[in-house]
Amino acid sequence: MPAERRQGMDHTHHEWSPISTRGKLNWPNDARVALCAIVTLEHTEWELPEGSFSADQAGGLGVRPFPDYPRFSHREYGHRVGIFRVLDVLQKLGINATVAMDSQTAEHYPYLVKYCLDQGCEIIAHGVSGSQMISGNMSVEAETIFIRSSMEIMEKATGKKPRGWSGTDYGESERTPDLLRQAGFDYVCDWVNDEQPYPMRDGLTALPTMLEMDDLFTMSNRRVTVDRFAQSLKDGFDAMYHDGASNGRLMTINLHPWLIGQPFRIGYLEEALGYAMGHEKVWAATGSEIVDWYRDNEPI
Amino acid sequence: MSLPPHRVDYSPIIERPPIKWPNGERVALWIAPNVEHYEYMPKKHGPRDPWPRTPYPDVQQYSYRDYGNRVGFWRMLEVLDQYKIRSCVSLNLAVLEHFPEIRDAMVERDWDYMSHGIYNTRYLYAYTEEEEREFYRDNVETLKRQTGKQLKGMLGPAISGTVRTPDLMTEAGLIYHTDWMHDDQPVPINVETGKLVSVPYSIELNDSPLFRVNYEADYFAEICKRQFDQLYKEGAESARVMCIALHPFLIGQPHRIKYLDEILSYITSHSDIWMTTADDIAEYYIENYYDQAVEHAKQYRV
Repeated sequence: MPAERRQGMDHTHHEWSPISTRGKLNWPNDARVALCAIVTLEHTEWELPEGSFSADQAGGLGVRPFPDYPRFSHREYGHRVGIFRVLDVLQKLGINATVAMDSQTAEHYPYLVKYCLDQGCEIIAHGVSGSQMISGNMSVEAETIFIRSSMEIMEKATGKKPRGWSGTDYGESERTPDLLRQAGFDYVCDWVNDEQPYPMRDGLTALPTMLEMDDLFTMSNRRVTVDRFAQSLKDGFDAMYHDGASNGRLMTINLHPWLIGQPFRIGYLEEALGYAMGHEKVWAATGSEIVDWYRDNEPI
Repeated sequence: MSLPPHRVDYSPIIERPPIKWPNGERVALWIAPNVEHYEYMPKKHGPRDPWPRTPYPDVQQYSYRDYGNRVGFWRMLEVLDQYKIRSCVSLNLAVLEHFPEIRDAMVERDWDYMSHGIYNTRYLYAYTEEEEREFYRDNVETLKRQTGKQLKGMLGPAISGTVRTPDLMTEAGLIYHTDWMHDDQPVPINVETGKLVSVPYSIELNDSPLFRVNYEADYFAEICKRQFDQLYKEGAESARVMCIALHPFLIGQPHRIKYLDEILSYITSHSDIWMTTADDIAEYYIENYYDQAVEHAKQYRV
């Protein structure tokens, strides 16, 4: 439905709320910035299932005709090599990762599930695979099954229900937030419109990602070089650290191990996040820790 | 006979009689934040698809732009305030209705507004003449009701238009159009009735085309300074216009904001600049130079 011209948003998922009018969000220990690192582990399928939708055309050579060996294997690099570099850097800096894992990865790479859990990462759901995203073309039945099966497979693979949801390529239909809540999710990372968590309708919490701090968006879609990406992370942190003195800020970055985990890129990530973590009033936390704190500590 | 669309008489800048701004300034500088709203579920109407990435909605792209209204606008505002910039907003008029805090912040600062349509997901391309006429009536009425100001100009919604647009604009009482990227000075646009000028906007000094691809804000700062230096030099002989176009969802990102500060700090350290708005540039030009420019251009007709 086209927008109706009246006060507020043109959808019902959350309220209009300019940051200038909000109370002060206080993070633990007077932190100015909560830093959340989402690490997206997604399996790229050999063949796209019939009727599935994928928006992601970026990275490497783009999409080629079947069989696309380079694309398939380029993404697979993340599961075999990149993830370990990325988690090493994060652990070294004291950042506990929030791993967004699709259900094909969870089922078929038990080593990675165990590895992430052993590292103390939080694992959240990320749909079925990196090749299929939720879109407005999905039927309500198909989308319900998509979300519920992802929840169930993740629970079986990790031993507990995932609390967070990060949609493949930020894909949603008009129904997605409602279906996520009905499936038992607490928070969603698809909405990139804020620097603080905020309530969505009926109890779901939005944990917004900084889209420009998503390595895939910035380096693959926009083709910004990794040194400039690292500079943006540092510049962005500086501004949020400044603004966070008067009202706490959330800096959620989204990392794809097949991309940022390449040998020549990883050092830039370490440098940028090392710069951020070198500040005193930074709280590195997982998605659930941030959402729980936000829910328990109303802005004042 | 001129080539289509027969809207602009050719006039080489090096031959024109010099123009001067009100106090002899070399450059008229105007800042154009694009304060916009993109619909969650727009109706596809005409040749352009508002959300080409996915079937609707595209939550990634929708919320990326919504970030501008929730967060980016306010961060941008702090920097503009620091330099006492009175902006000329390229405004999706429905923003005034959806987001009153943004309206109030703009009204409080006495900013000027040009229409940028109602929503940035409703383009003019497929409008009939009557629909477009009604569109201007709505634009003029909405701005007046919400801000008390009279609408004087337009940057088409997402820079869209029809072949009738300039005629219908003057019919509705507008005096300037900023869709024309053809000059460093205002230019008379041929219309059926009244007077219309193009006021130079920019799709070069513009964060949207730059940050859609792999340029970043240090480069934006560099080109803004370079542009200013060149126009400032040329403006000693005949005055120039410089516009910097901003989008709060882009320039208001935390990693970009310091570069806006750098641009404004550099430019405002100069004397002989007219910090102004497109409204004021258009009025001043029409009052002082429009007739002269039309007359001068006649010699180039073929």
